Amino acid sequence: MNSLSFALADEMASLAASLQRSLVVLHNGRAGVGAGVIWKRDGWVVTNHHVVAAGRQSRAHRDLRVELFDGRVYPVRVAAQDEEIDLALLQVDGAFKNEQNHELPEVLVADVANLRIGELVMAIGHPWGQRGMVTLGLVSGIFAAKTQGRRGQVQVIRSDARLAPGNSGGPLVNASGRVVGLNTLIIGGDQGMAISSQVIDSFVAQSGMV
Amino acid sequence: MTSEDNNTLVALSAAMADAVEKAGASTVTVDARQRMPASGIAYSAGLVLTADHVVERDEDLSVLLPDGSRVSAVLAGRDPGNDLALLKLSGAGLVAAEAAASPARIGQLALALGRPSPQGIQASLGVVSALGGPLRTGSGGLLEEYLRTDAIPYPGFSGGPLVDAAGRVLGLNTSGLARAVSLTIPVALAWQVAEALAQHGSVRRGYLGIRSQPVSINAAAQSLLGRSQVTGLLLVGVEESSPAEQAGLMVGDILVGLQEAVIDDPDQLLVRLSGSIVGQQAAVEVLRGGQPLKLSVTIGERK
Repeated sequence: MNSLSFALADEMASLAASLQRSLVVLHNGRAGVGAGVIWKRDGWVVTNHHVVAAGRQSRAHRDLRVELFDGRVYPVRVAAQDEEIDLALLQVDGAFKNEQNHELPEVLVADVANLRIGELVMAIGHPWGQRGMVTLGLVSGIFAAKTQGRRGQVQVIRSDARLAPGNSGGPLVNASGRVVGLNTLIIGGDQGMAISSQVIDSFVAQSGMV
Repeated sequence: MTSEDNNTLVALSAAMADAVEKAGASTVTVDARQRMPASGIAYSAGLVLTADHVVERDEDLSVLLPDGSRVSAVLAGRDPGNDLALLKLSGAGLVAAEAAASPARIGQLALALGRPSPQGIQASLGVVSALGGPLRTGSGGLLEEYLRTDAIPYPGFSGGPLVDAAGRVLGLNTSGLARAVSLTIPVALAWQVAEALAQHGSVRRGYLGIRSQPVSINAAAQSLLGRSQVTGLLLVGVEESSPAEQAGLMVGDILVGLQEAVIDDPDQLLVRLSGSIVGQQAAVEVLRGGQPLKLSVTIGERK
């Protein structure tokens, strides 16, 4: 292994380690239901709508909790959701603000307008319940996907990183560790589709919460 | 979260995107079948090489260029045996793809590219996983060599290129040669077929006029040949007035070489008899009575 390979291996490991800090596990009742990503340090988490929608009508929905990288668990409430683009914004209970780590490790968001096909990307999530699993791939395509709602279409990013159920709600990041999208298996029924960060940013802004 | 914008990973990422951009400028959409369009490679300013199985029609063909313009095309020729077809565009203006200078190596990074929709170039990353061949193909042909990769062959990628990390073509991807897997036809072979299709409209297959079967070669004969070659082709029939008879080949000879190539099984002979060798004088090496002998044969054309 030459120095170039060493540098690559080292940088990829650092990237994965730093991403894992911003990844959360969502619990609904007793079960882990999916992944989410810390979008804002003062307690805002983004995930897929379908990840938190399962128990919407039930008592379980009121038991929605978020588990941080360091094992801390807090209740969360659904602050905004949009089924059409499969996104939900969660607010973490304020208790964490009284702790030593009172700011959550938020992600940096990429400027997707400059994203190029072929850029390397890393996906992270909890596929089949495996915590914080990392897979590598590249941006395979950037598409306008049809939606069932007023938007009509929305920007999605296809990657060839291997994904499985449980990756839903986890981030897809570029080589600088900036989030380009949220892995979402259900759009178009095609594995490896992520909702563009552009869409997430405007969803978060429109929620009026953050 | 840290962000290192000038590290090796960022540089590699940019290099991959550069490779896609370069090769993507020579990757087109081929619209020549009922279901979704497929991909093609700009072989020259006016010629597109694609997979034969995606060209279902002989007429009403069109190509969508990387700049979004649609150009009509005619079929310049087909080689179903290698699943290749060449299209001639009504206008020039393509950016010809650059072939990799050296053959693919197992383990090297490779990108599969396709342009099956107007939404732009698509790519997937892998490595060159295996080299193989010759392979009897589903269409009854014989593929001399192939590559395999673990890059994802997305729908509509057939006819598109496999490129190296610098965007140079390693081969043409097709899912039409073997059931359930995508194979890559190495660029040297693909370009050779493209040239033949451009000149003759088909790939010419050579004709010798022999019937043969593989036999083993004993150690004494191998040492006279000066190489370790354990099998050759025993001639069990020579057709009258055929190129083989005119060259003096006889039943009982063991064919061991053609030009510079070692011939040790029937597939090797078929491979060597295709393309530009047709009509040429070629040196045939045989064992006759255990002794090496070189004869000159004028290769005929199989009709």
